[in-house]
Amino acid sequence: MTLIIGGAYQGKLAFARETFGFGEEDVFTCSGAEIDFAKPCVNALEEFTLACVRQGLDPVEYLRGHRAQWENTVFICQDLFCGVVPIDTELRSWRHTTGLVCQYLSREADRVSRIFCGLEQRLK
Amino acid sequence: MIIFISGGAKNGKSSLAQELALTLARGGKRYYVATMIPVDQEDRDRIRRHVADRAGLGFETVECGRNLPACLDRVDRSAAFLLDSTTALLMNELFDPEQDYALDPAAPERCREDLLRFVHGVDNVVVVSDYIYSDAQRYDEITETYRKGLADLDRALAAVSDTVIEVSAGQVIVHKGVMPL
Repeated sequence: MTLIIGGAYQGKLAFARETFGFGEEDVFTCSGAEIDFAKPCVNALEEFTLACVRQGLDPVEYLRGHRAQWENTVFICQDLFCGVVPIDTELRSWRHTTGLVCQYLSREADRVSRIFCGLEQRLK
Repeated sequence: MIIFISGGAKNGKSSLAQELALTLARGGKRYYVATMIPVDQEDRDRIRRHVADRAGLGFETVECGRNLPACLDRVDRSAAFLLDSTTALLMNELFDPEQDYALDPAAPERCREDLLRFVHGVDNVVVVSDYIYSDAQRYDEITETYRKGLADLDRALAAVSDTVIEVSAGQVIVHKGVMPL
């Protein structure tokens, strides 16, 4: 499994496409609290964590429960946990939870890459 | 040589950029491309601090807050240039005071092309940007247009740069190429 993190608009998906040869049909773009693990690339994981926060679900538990299904998945997540702690409770929880999700995936990953201005920084 | 520097606020980007521009100048001519168009006292104070920082370093200041390639006609292109920052340039292009600061949707692409023309039009240049992409906020459309526009020009510059540097707490992370000696 590969984890790609980085800021907004840094070219994370473009990097994944180029590196792993993904086409449009290979990418699942998160928008709710469910992930389609049949797709080799899971993009916008931060939208999944936000949906989990809104529905009171634990995204790490969800991922653990589906562990066997993402052995070779490429996850893409915005590193939105680097900024200021938001006053808004939901955004604060989002930031916190996304950080925990990335820690978990990072431990499980064979490869962790951070994308900075379109360039890869290999973290693991 | 093209050097691109980004990172968080108050991390030492401008000081490093000055040092690198001096290195690239090798004792020869160097320009500071002043991008900020002051609108209030806070801006004027900030400019004064930056001018004081540069005092004695031998930079000639070229004012260019908008339409960057136009300033190529009034400079010695073989000099070393310090452009600080893309953030201010995009802001100036995006919100034109003569249009009552209305957002110009064509500005990000124009600004990116201007910057590329500028960096390819001179021998040595250090460009400074700001890294504003890693926080848990849902911004309004105007802010998001600005963030995306800045990221697009950051990536375009990083792609053509010989050296790409991220500054974090005064420390240097080289993402591409090498630090000039």
